Amino acid sequence: MQTSSLEAATQTPARPKHRLGLLLLPLVILAGMGLSVEAGLLGPLGVQVGHLWATLSIFGVGTAILLLLLLFSGPQKGPALNELPRWQLIGGFLGPMYVVVLTLATPHIGIAMTMIAILSGQVGKSVLIDHFGWFGTARKRVNGERWIALLLIVIALVLIARG
Amino acid sequence: MNLILLLVLVVAAGAVLSVQAAINGRLGQTVGVLRSSLVTFSVGTLVTGLLILFFEPAQAVSLLEVPKWQLTGALFGVVYMMVMVGAVPIVGTAVATVAVIVGQLAMGMLIDNFGWMGNTAIELSASRVLAMLCLALALVFMYRSSTRQAD
Repeated sequence: MQTSSLEAATQTPARPKHRLGLLLLPLVILAGMGLSVEAGLLGPLGVQVGHLWATLSIFGVGTAILLLLLLFSGPQKGPALNELPRWQLIGGFLGPMYVVVLTLATPHIGIAMTMIAILSGQVGKSVLIDHFGWFGTARKRVNGERWIALLLIVIALVLIARG
Repeated sequence: MNLILLLVLVVAAGAVLSVQAAINGRLGQTVGVLRSSLVTFSVGTLVTGLLILFFEPAQAVSLLEVPKWQLTGALFGVVYMMVMVGAVPIVGTAVATVAVIVGQLAMGMLIDNFGWMGNTAIELSASRVLAMLCLALALVFMYRSSTRQAD
């Protein structure tokens, strides 16, 4: 899972690094493919055992794996979790919302359509986060190239909605 | 009508997901990938457990009775979370998000086309392929704009 190299990478300041960024992109794309596999597993599972139980299988198994990884990887650097600002811990409330919606949606509209709908929400929101530097991320003004990228995404959305 | 409601819900879930990616990227920078992921997953487990206790109707089939391969989704989720926590501070939220989307769509279309893992098969059309190309191009533009700003 390349945790050591990723961990080293996260200690650098929030400036994009050209080489490292290029190396990371295929990894991020693969991670995205994994999300579709996860959604493909979740839909049928949610129909069989219930949407919340399917969600619990994701978070329960995930917690167990991470706890084991953490136990065997020794002491961690950085401040203790209880010294952090509280709002940085709310990611755990947002995750289940996403997973529950996945199990609800995929049996009705298919995985690609679900991902496309997720996409419009993601890109709109993430460009806003970068533009205004919300949640303590580095601020990046939305320039011409990003608007072209957004336009291309809208074209892709329309294409798939029609096809 | 129900379908449109579902679509709105899914769009909102996408927005929520990118908020989560930004928060976890920040958290991962201070406490490390493993601990920030563990926080997200354990809080997620507790929240889902509470929701099940109070809101989930009884089901005919339990998690213990389905084929085991149907329970492997979490493995992909853990890998995704670690990659995102590592990548977001380096490539930026928008670029990371679009890269994930390219992977999601490619694999989503494959699963839909072949009906893998018990899903209904939806055939791959020319416009779906064209849409993928647009998305790949969007990723290039997002990446270029964020690297140029670093210089």
